[in-house]
Amino acid sequence: MSVLVSRSDMGEFRRRPRWLAVVVVFAFLALTARVFYMQIVNGDEYRALARENIIRRVTLATTRGVVRDSLGRVLASNRPSYNVYCVPSKLDMNSVWPRLAGYMQLNAQERERIQKRILDLKSDSGPRKDWQILVKEDVSRDLVATLETHAAELPSVDVVPAPVRYYPHAELGAHVLGYMSEVDSDALVRLRALGYMEGDRRGAGGVERGWESYLRGTRGWEKVVVDSRGRRHVDPASMALIDDPKRLDPIPGRDLRLTIDFDIQKAIHTAMRSALAGATVVVDVRTGRILGMISKPSYDPNELSGGNGVQALKSAYRRLLSDPLQPSLDKTMSGAYPPGSTYKPFTALAALRENLIDTRKQFDCRGYYQFGKRMFKCTHVHGPVALEQAITRSCNVYFYQLGEAIGLDRLARTGLDFGFGQKTGLGTNVESQGRMPTRAWYSQHYKGQFRVGFTLNAAIGQGATTVTALQLALSYAALANGGVLYEPQLVHSVETADGTIVQDLSPRVRRRINLRTEDMALVHRGLWGVVNEEKGTAYNERLADVDAAGKTGTAQVSHQTVGLGADDSRVWYFNRDHAWFASYSPSKSPEIAVIVLIEHGGAGGRVAAPVALQVMRAYHKLKAERAAKKAAAAGSAAPASSRGTP
Amino acid sequence: MSLHADEHGFHARDRFDWPLFICATLIAVIGIVNLYSATSVAKAALTELYLNQIYWMVAGGILAVAAASIDYRHIERFAYVIYAGGLVMLVLVLVLARDIRGSARWIPIGSFGFQPSEFMKLCLAIALAKYIHDDPHAEGRTLRDLAAPAALAAVPMLLVLKQPDLGTALILGLILVSVLGLSRIQWKSLLTIFVTAIVALPLVWNYGLKDYQRMRVTSFLNPEADIRGAGWHAHHARIAIGNGGFLGQGYMKGTQNQYLFLPDQYSDFPFPVFAEDWGFLGTMVLFGLYGFLILWAIRIASQAKNRFGAVLAVGVGAMIFWQSFFNLGMVSGILPVVGVPLPLFSYGGSSVFTNMIGLGLLMNISMRRYSYAGADSRLLRL
Repeated sequence: MSVLVSRSDMGEFRRRPRWLAVVVVFAFLALTARVFYMQIVNGDEYRALARENIIRRVTLATTRGVVRDSLGRVLASNRPSYNVYCVPSKLDMNSVWPRLAGYMQLNAQERERIQKRILDLKSDSGPRKDWQILVKEDVSRDLVATLETHAAELPSVDVVPAPVRYYPHAELGAHVLGYMSEVDSDALVRLRALGYMEGDRRGAGGVERGWESYLRGTRGWEKVVVDSRGRRHVDPASMALIDDPKRLDPIPGRDLRLTIDFDIQKAIHTAMRSALAGATVVVDVRTGRILGMISKPSYDPNELSGGNGVQALKSAYRRLLSDPLQPSLDKTMSGAYPPGSTYKPFTALAALRENLIDTRKQFDCRGYYQFGKRMFKCTHVHGPVALEQAITRSCNVYFYQLGEAIGLDRLARTGLDFGFGQKTGLGTNVESQGRMPTRAWYSQHYKGQFRVGFTLNAAIGQGATTVTALQLALSYAALANGGVLYEPQLVHSVETADGTIVQDLSPRVRRRINLRTEDMALVHRGLWGVVNEEKGTAYNERLADVDAAGKTGTAQVSHQTVGLGADDSRVWYFNRDHAWFASYSPSKSPEIAVIVLIEHGGAGGRVAAPVALQVMRAYHKLKAERAAKKAAAAGSAAPASSRGTP
Repeated sequence: MSLHADEHGFHARDRFDWPLFICATLIAVIGIVNLYSATSVAKAALTELYLNQIYWMVAGGILAVAAASIDYRHIERFAYVIYAGGLVMLVLVLVLARDIRGSARWIPIGSFGFQPSEFMKLCLAIALAKYIHDDPHAEGRTLRDLAAPAALAAVPMLLVLKQPDLGTALILGLILVSVLGLSRIQWKSLLTIFVTAIVALPLVWNYGLKDYQRMRVTSFLNPEADIRGAGWHAHHARIAIGNGGFLGQGYMKGTQNQYLFLPDQYSDFPFPVFAEDWGFLGTMVLFGLYGFLILWAIRIASQAKNRFGAVLAVGVGAMIFWQSFFNLGMVSGILPVVGVPLPLFSYGGSSVFTNMIGLGLLMNISMRRYSYAGADSRLLRL
């Protein structure tokens, strides 16, 4: 014991514990200072960071407005759709994958394909294995329910809602409605300011494009509580952590009621069934409202909008771009064509307005018109014709001499008055403005000396003159209604989702063309004769029950030896003339103008006129049916009324 | 003669160190309560951890009683045997251990893992106490005199680094430094050590550290550079502490913890959970308890009846101090992230056992402070 004491020489440790204590005290003071700084001085900042961690703003999708026809029938709406995704790196191939494949009832081939894809990505060295991949798109509601029930045993599998635009009538009237397409990254730079995000779709053509800002609606947002794994927590304690404002409701897009009458659309579709390519426009001559508008060939907007899947989307695009008949082109307004003889009434009016002709004076058509050394041909030898017969029988020679008398610029002046050479401003699809050539135009675009021959060609709607079917429709409407050129109208009213009208759009007059009544009457008679006189160019196509007036046109196509992407065996088709029929009905107090263009259809009277006349017949039939129905409804609604019962 | 009675006839139990006992018990209880909060929302496998921790605490308490009961002169006698036993265990780790998260530290025993490196901290403290006890240098130690204790620390440090476990190696080194801080070293030697350390630092940085260890240091020095990677733990731990504010978010209401932004919240990051729940006020209480415990250990050292007891008390105190300081400093962002548990707070049997035995040893030394009262011991009064 005493040995132990003697060995305990504590002198070496003298005063040392005090220094150790000082070190300890300083260390804890440093920690205290640090914690004070974090919790008291910077507490608010850290609290904000902690809040940022758990409170996330999720965007709430809005619904796109529904597009209906004039009678309220749905033309474009939204369909819920769900896609199944998985993350390859996190997918257990032994337990989860067979289960997932089982629930989804994948067939052997699908299963093989997706499994291979997942395994390939799993072995990928880059970050791609951590990205979600699509297992299957647009799965059924039942499957969504199944997958959600079994979500716990399917980690890394996600069901993502992806509503798609739905067009119940598919390709019927597709060009009027347009379709939806995903915003690309270039456009997104511009569109982000307007609230677009990656993966958003927006209208690409037709009403969808032109009225995008009305249809799309505004996104909302909602604050949610999430943990570090991104899981949402909805228990009351978690919800209590959310600060105000908690939510901003999305505003659904506006619904649109179009001026289009879907029954007319169907009638046009039926009437055009034998035509490969072309366009028909039906306009109410009293308002400028478009009742029907079809371009052929068409496409299925559901496929282009992604509603039938990515594969369908890709193949649809491929077909669209490779088809020589150009289904992507809206032939009612995006394509400009020489009007041919349908332009003759305007040539006549130009002459009449300038008092350049004696309407009763006959001109002898010998089948050609000699101008200088050139011969300008007529379709027939018409013999002596005055203005009215010249329209009815479509005598080129008569209009050649008229054109010579008027001159190109005066011809153009009347054309411009009727809206040719300018965009109509419909604003749905890319619009061609057509061309109304003047001498100035020729001096800019034509190298050689101006020739009177240009004027002669312009007088019969050939040469450099081009028009769109929509322009022709509005100008014929103006012809029919006595000279009021309307702006085309496609949207009747803007409505909220519950049907309240937000904005009722009324017809807008673009210009009142200064025309003399007797001049108009003369042209009307000529147009009436086309259908109703024995020598009229559409007389053979007349329908007993349809009262119509119109003008045929056969527009020459500049001949090509190599077609537009067509193989040589089809070149004959692309060299055939375009067939026109521009008309209105009834011939007295007209209601609608109908313009039919059959691309490479040949002679206008034979090919285009029957289409227009059938559409007119359908229009009058519908009108009568609806009037009868209305009367019946009114009758049954007021049976107590004593009037009319003796 | 009886080992339990001193020359005045007092039994050691009459000198029971209540402040030490109460302080340690409070920390342990708060630690379990906090562990419950820390694991309440985690995966189901973790929610039972606090129960395990209670079992460890109870078993550790029994070990502590044992450690306090045996007169530490017996421990002194077997000091090198104990140390050798610790080294054998460390060698066994290298042979047997399972690889868990890139590091092999545990010897599997049944469903549990036994972590010899934890116990090595105590073994080293005991061996150093023995060496210093046997080798007094009142006039100060020269470099040559430091070679042996340095070697005692270096061997287990190298074995631990091989696992690799930087945190434990660091603590072992700091136990050595603290113990040497108690003894006297010549100024010339001290200067030489400093110069050598400054020269050695870049060498260690380039060749001595693993990539992930270097990453932790760089992410500490530039925390914003890599919030998603190595700095992620530290970043969210700091947010949790700051989020506590003055009064805290309330027990089990800290959002960083409840919504799983604190990984390792039960092992190396229990303090952010506590700080977030209880705020600055609670943190001060906890710091007070740890500070008191460590200062009390130094007091025990200063009152120890012999050199072995004094050095051992400092060694155990240093173990608790450096672990606490590094853990708290790391989670609050004033030190780089190294895996060091917070004594009595972090989950883990080996850590609990080690700290409990250490506390038992402190109790042991404290209870026997007057056993051989002589002129020497009074010199050490603070």
